[in-house]
Amino acid sequence: MKLKNKSNQRTAEAKKAKLLSLLQKHGLNIYENLDQGKFPQFVIPSRSVNNIVYDKKLRQYILGSANAVRSSRNMSQLRSYTQLAWLAFFVNRLVREGKSSTLRDIYYSSQAFSIDFEDQPESDNIIVDLEAVTLSPREEFHIFPEERSSVFGDLTIEYTVPGYEGKRMNLSDHPDGYLIGPSLSSAELVDTSAELVIAIEKGGLFTRFVEEKVHKKFKSIIVDTAGQAPRSTRNLLRRLNQEMGLPVVILADGDVYGEHIAMVIKSGSANAAHLRELTVPDAKWLGVWATDIEKYKLPTIPMTESDIKRIYDLQKDPRYQEGNWKKQLEVFLKLKRKAELEAFSKYGLTNITDKYLPAKLEESKSF
Amino acid sequence: MKIYLSKETFSQISPSEFFYRNRDLAGFSNPTRSLYTSVREFVENALDACDQKKILPDIHMSIKAVDPEQSDPKPYVLTVKDNGPGIEPKNVPHAFGIVLYGSKFGLKQARGMFGLGATMAILYGQITTNKPVTVKSCADGKTVDEFVMLLDIQKNKPVILKHTTKEASKTGLSVSIVLEGDYSKAGSKIRDYVSKTSLITPYASITFEDPSGEKFHYPRIVKEMPPPPTIIKSHPHGVDVETLRRMIVDTHYQIPPVDNKMLDKVKKELGLQKKNLATKDILERAQKRWADLSRPVRTIIAVMSFLNVDFDGLQKLRIDDIDVANKKITYWDFGESQSHSIELDPESPYYKQLANTIQGDTLLTFLTKRFQRVGPTTAEKFCEFAKFKPERRIGSMTNEELVKLADALQKFDDFLAPDPSCLAPLGEEPLSKGIMKFFNPEFASVLQRNASAYSGFPFVVEMGIAYGGDIPPSGLKVYRFANRIPLLYDEGSDVVLKIVNEMDWSRYKVKGDPPLVIVSHICSTRIPYKTVGKENVADRPELERELKNALQYLARKLAVHMSRKGAADMEKKRANLYAKYVPLISQFATELSGKKKEPNYKQLIKMGSEIEEQV
Repeated sequence: MKLKNKSNQRTAEAKKAKLLSLLQKHGLNIYENLDQGKFPQFVIPSRSVNNIVYDKKLRQYILGSANAVRSSRNMSQLRSYTQLAWLAFFVNRLVREGKSSTLRDIYYSSQAFSIDFEDQPESDNIIVDLEAVTLSPREEFHIFPEERSSVFGDLTIEYTVPGYEGKRMNLSDHPDGYLIGPSLSSAELVDTSAELVIAIEKGGLFTRFVEEKVHKKFKSIIVDTAGQAPRSTRNLLRRLNQEMGLPVVILADGDVYGEHIAMVIKSGSANAAHLRELTVPDAKWLGVWATDIEKYKLPTIPMTESDIKRIYDLQKDPRYQEGNWKKQLEVFLKLKRKAELEAFSKYGLTNITDKYLPAKLEESKSF
Repeated sequence: MKIYLSKETFSQISPSEFFYRNRDLAGFSNPTRSLYTSVREFVENALDACDQKKILPDIHMSIKAVDPEQSDPKPYVLTVKDNGPGIEPKNVPHAFGIVLYGSKFGLKQARGMFGLGATMAILYGQITTNKPVTVKSCADGKTVDEFVMLLDIQKNKPVILKHTTKEASKTGLSVSIVLEGDYSKAGSKIRDYVSKTSLITPYASITFEDPSGEKFHYPRIVKEMPPPPTIIKSHPHGVDVETLRRMIVDTHYQIPPVDNKMLDKVKKELGLQKKNLATKDILERAQKRWADLSRPVRTIIAVMSFLNVDFDGLQKLRIDDIDVANKKITYWDFGESQSHSIELDPESPYYKQLANTIQGDTLLTFLTKRFQRVGPTTAEKFCEFAKFKPERRIGSMTNEELVKLADALQKFDDFLAPDPSCLAPLGEEPLSKGIMKFFNPEFASVLQRNASAYSGFPFVVEMGIAYGGDIPPSGLKVYRFANRIPLLYDEGSDVVLKIVNEMDWSRYKVKGDPPLVIVSHICSTRIPYKTVGKENVADRPELERELKNALQYLARKLAVHMSRKGAADMEKKRANLYAKYVPLISQFATELSGKKKEPNYKQLIKMGSEIEEQV
């Protein structure tokens, strides 16, 4: 049994307190400005392309030093300023009352306060603004996208959501896995016997892994990322890595998108450059590599033009400039063919868990 | 001058008959058009009459169906009554009973031309309903003469059916005709015409009673009449070869007809009533009395000297032509029944007399006497330019030379610009008042450009612009006028429309479908209409330039107004925005900061609305 580090205890609660105090600080600032006849403003780190830089130390994309000022003095910004102030106010309520909402909810909730968002993209954008102002992901605001990824394995959590506070739960009780939703995201991680986290791109393989008892055979927690991993999932992976000290490995399709799913879990996306704590810098991409396609003689399908274009795009990304990441892109480009995780079924349904996974895990020790 | 007659016979037709046969040309093609044209002709005649005598016009017009139950087209009674000077009773039958009788032949701006239309309307009424015209006229302010008459189309003569006289208290004219019309179709055009006429004639009071009894009254907006136009001579740029030929013909003396009356005159001036002298003696006697002889008599004597005939001989021949250029005289001898031609001796003292008579004025005199704003200096310069001697007699010019002269008149650039005193623009103030009253706009501006000219015809452009207020936001509308007449049709091909449409209105802060009206008034002795319908003006470059300059000036004025309005609107918008959002921000900040009481944000709302916009 691996117990959580003492120093990291009650992480979820600490985060909540930090956010609330930050919001209050902003509230006070606005309040004083109003009272003194000054126009309040928000300083928002600029999210323009020019201000997104890759930080080699942090091994993720971060925002540069450029800031944008959104001032209530500027008539053209007054509306969006008010929207942002409203969102801070609304998030404060959500977090204090332990309620969660979705992006769509926010769009509709605004209408009760005569904050007129023209459409959901406008309200989504304001949410990103608040993320940038507070440097916190929206999940901390209790705002969640539609959930689709899940987790399974021996992990005990303790809920913090109202009505379940203090209630514990083990995530190996239900074979379909557990949805990584608001209550799981805000839960405290208590303990686990697992020694490894396996993130897998596809739901079908996730089920196979549970059936084949991969969680037992490899003492692992299995996470279904359902394609590109959502932020809540990436945050959970990070917490499993940082708080529980578990290494994270990633299995994705043998194509350029699969490679990038692994990369985003490891070092984030440019879209979330304003956020930290969504990356697992030490995560390892197990496969399927381009070189595995030949090595394991996997049945392949030809790449489409957009697949090839994606390779060229990623070759410009600073994170693909060296090592295995660079090499695999080159091999993909040479092969112009790709293989899905299911391709292993050609050699039997359990081939992937019996042969490929142990081999790759072994191999991973050397990189 | 030689006249050649072909051998075919011509049967002459009277002008009335000609117009009867060609009534389509004058706008009487169908009952709808005819009713509209008749209204225009009578109303414009009435306004012209008042303008000429500086009387503030008071026009009453009514259209009544003879039988309201009948369906259109049907006979209508059209009556137009004015408070103008009236027409002398003795002239009434001619003025309304003869086609082409009129006083508008001089060169000045007037609404109608030649007084043709009114008689055409009467003619049309008579043709379609066989009813006479009723004219009531009071010219002296004491008695009113009422004539009921018909036109004799073949003879082009009025036939008076009834003439009565009554007492009256003021001058004026009332004309009433019965004509076949279609008011259901023409009504909107007629109402449009009356309304637009009132806009361009703000000094007139116009009342129109339609067949249903509804009254449209347009009261007088301004009390001052614009100055009336004066009649002036032609401008050299405005004449062509044919005009020039006509001017020359009525400048020089004709060869007097040799009849008994003329012979008696010659004998009387020579003191020869009783006696019949020989040719030689006649000439001798004439020499002695030369200074006292009249010009026609001198001419006859000169002819007698060249032909060497006495009075009896003179009566036996007919002078056909005196060709001064070729020094020849041609005559018909009745006795021999044949034509003779003899040389003129240029050395003879009579030659000069004959030549001067036949050849008329010198070119220099002709230019200064017959054209506007041409003095001796300009005339001499022109002669040099055209390579004609100033003393050249205009009557001696050959066809080729006339063409050359006409051409030179067009090309010579040093003539003064045409005299605009023959024009009668409305003036900026009356136009402005008219526009204000008519449209009730939030902004209006007017401009009268200086006189300009195209092809020797002077013109003045007046223009007005109006925005907002009661004007509906349905896009730019153009009201076109020419010589104080509204132009209602063929808008698309008009030069004014072309200029307006070529404007980049966005440069003048006008967007979308603006509540915008342009009023354009072109005054000229000859409006360059594109078609005989006289509804659209051609795009002469000189006219285009004036219209464009006027429009740009007004558009700039509008742009200034729009900027001011924009700034005011912006301030209002700011005020609204801050009034809406600041209390919300306050509400959110209060709860967020955990305070109980809201901050004092009132001052911020006020400040917000006052911030200068940073561009």
